[in-house]
Amino acid sequence: MAARIIARCVRSLNHRAVYSNRINTAATLTAAPLTHGRTFSYLTTGHKSPLAQISSSSFQVLQWRQYGDLPPLTLETIHDRVLYVLKLYDKISPEKLQATSHFMKDLGLDSLDQVEIIMAMEDEFGFEIPDAEAEKLMTPQEIVQYIADKKDVYE
Amino acid sequence: MANSLRAEVVQLYKTLLFLGREYPKGADYFRDRLRAAFAKNKDVSDPEKIKELISRGEFVVKELEALYYLRKYRALKKRYY
Repeated sequence: MAARIIARCVRSLNHRAVYSNRINTAATLTAAPLTHGRTFSYLTTGHKSPLAQISSSSFQVLQWRQYGDLPPLTLETIHDRVLYVLKLYDKISPEKLQATSHFMKDLGLDSLDQVEIIMAMEDEFGFEIPDAEAEKLMTPQEIVQYIADKKDVYE
Repeated sequence: MANSLRAEVVQLYKTLLFLGREYPKGADYFRDRLRAAFAKNKDVSDPEKIKELISRGEFVVKELEALYYLRKYRALKKRYY
């Protein structure tokens, strides 16, 4: 769809220019793929009506680019993600799970389960937790606190 | 008890769990077997015996790596012929 609209823009530009200058149209045509790529990234990021902007301003190049990005980590999002991972773990029943429940005492897990949970957290948050510190993380609350410390997230 | 040995056992468990994700019969199958194997020896307290078991676990790690290499080699070879 984007390609069609771009093509229409180029065509209307050509009509307006009435082939007054061949080099000029060639320049717009070579510029077209560039803007094309941009529109695509606009579309995928899902911002509203970038096409209207472009077709109205007709190839005014906007220097605006969005990189792949996560929403910023806050204590709440970390908390939610930790609990989400724990709920997906098959030996924990979601009803019993509290932020302060101890893995071994309250949830009845063993140390192997705890190692697996820490590995799941490493996968979820994309960094490695050393064994010495992983052993001390026994409640969801402690995991949240540890991740927040490592990722420099504060209140 | 010897804490260094505990760290080694945990490390071994993590390594095996990580390798088991690509096990041909499925990660869940592998995880259950792995857990059973570790749970069977949970009461072992003799350091010599633990060391022996750890070396056996490392042997399993090597076997798994060999299995994956063989699988890769076979897959590549199948594509040639």
